[in-house]
Amino acid sequence: MAEKLLNDQVVGQIQDVFANLKEPVQVLFFGQEKNCPYCEDTRQLVEEVTEISDKLHLTVYDIDRDSEIAERYHVDKAPGIVLAGRDGDQVLDYGIRYAGIPSGHEFGSLIHDLVNVSRRDSGLSEETRQFLKTLEKPVLLQVFVTPT
Amino acid sequence: MAMESPLVEAEMVEAMEFPELSNRHQVSGVPQTTINDGAGTVVGAAPEGQLLAEIVRALEAVKA
Repeated sequence: MAEKLLNDQVVGQIQDVFANLKEPVQVLFFGQEKNCPYCEDTRQLVEEVTEISDKLHLTVYDIDRDSEIAERYHVDKAPGIVLAGRDGDQVLDYGIRYAGIPSGHEFGSLIHDLVNVSRRDSGLSEETRQFLKTLEKPVLLQVFVTPT
Repeated sequence: MAMESPLVEAEMVEAMEFPELSNRHQVSGVPQTTINDGAGTVVGAAPEGQLLAEIVRALEAVKA
């Protein structure tokens, strides 16, 4: 087996944070066979993270072979990760995605987002929540980050 | 925000891996948040209130 990306100490820290997990989370990973230098590491990373808790479930797809599923979740880049809720057999898509490897600072965001999705709680202020309820048109937020 | 509204999608993009998209949105500093393919932008950390205001502005701009 390949060497672990997360050492025991990091796994321990994540376990502490994951004590706050509540409801099941479905993580969808989308890789690509060609021209995807970060796909393997990203897949391994989400595998290691989702193995830490029974509440986290992972399914692995290929953006080309499973194009229908990729389109359903609006995944157009690989590696792509979707963080969704899970209720029985149902996947609850909140529209939360990662494009590219979540390393460095973004790894913390990933762990944080997993907890939020699991708790079904965005952590936003009441004012923001009320405003979002009044939206009539789609809003796509793309947050550009670098792995430092 | 994506969690709170079915109309909102949030995508974290690793800029180095997707240079074409980053260049198109002229990403110079990170984090940079782009709203609706360039209708709005927040460079640097985006506190909740500031991001909200920029979303409002971006949606208004489209209407006008």
